[in-house]
Amino acid sequence: MNLKAFNRALWVYHMNTGSCNGCDIEILAVLTPRYDVERFGIMLVGSPRHADVLLVTGPVARSMEDTVKRIYAQVPDPKVVMVVGNCGAEGGVFHEAYSLIGPVDQVIPVDVYVPGCPPRPEAIIHGVVMAWVKLEKLAKQEVT
Amino acid sequence: MSALDYGYAVWAPIVWIIALVVIGILVLIWRSRGQKSYKKGTAQTDIFLSGTKVPPEEERHVKAENIYWGFFEALKGLYRAMMKPHTGIVNDYLLWFVAILTIFILILVLAS
Repeated sequence: MNLKAFNRALWVYHMNTGSCNGCDIEILAVLTPRYDVERFGIMLVGSPRHADVLLVTGPVARSMEDTVKRIYAQVPDPKVVMVVGNCGAEGGVFHEAYSLIGPVDQVIPVDVYVPGCPPRPEAIIHGVVMAWVKLEKLAKQEVT
Repeated sequence: MSALDYGYAVWAPIVWIIALVVIGILVLIWRSRGQKSYKKGTAQTDIFLSGTKVPPEEERHVKAENIYWGFFEALKGLYRAMMKPHTGIVNDYLLWFVAILTIFILILVLAS
């Protein structure tokens, strides 16, 4: 990883597409004083239009398919999609459920996967940094 | 420079105008440094409504009469009954006037 310094703050839009909330609680833990990622400029935002990263938890429920696509389309370029948890990555314990479309990458392209049920906050932070590296690469590609 | 001194405050319009111009310039500079990678005419510039489909503008508009929706709903029976005699024809209103006046006169005559 060649990331030496962050060029800018990283704004993340968090979206739950059918998660049990386990991953969402771990994401909140990342923001608590123990881990405090906001000191690096990583913060959750309330609109995908302000976001650099779309962070998705849970498998995609049928009723959420259109919403996921719409929100993905609303994130400005360059954008990175990050999936937190086994369910979003491959369906997890819900993989055979009748009400699911499937993992997130069956609906929108995914750049970073953070496996775990739920993943630890350290793993989520590592995933965010990977997303950041990818985002900086994409930003450079857009400039050149 | 023309300035009004109230003793406890000063009103100087020139100073206000200069301050507003300076603030305006600063805002424009700040705005020009904003995100430029939005693709105009795509979903990236659409209204965000928690991911739900945004209805057309005419359906999003909240009419002024919506303020009274609760009253209309609660007093629907009364309004329905009240609107029936309101035909908009002057002859009908005069007929109502004469009829009610007759009832009052009868009551007064009988009571005396």
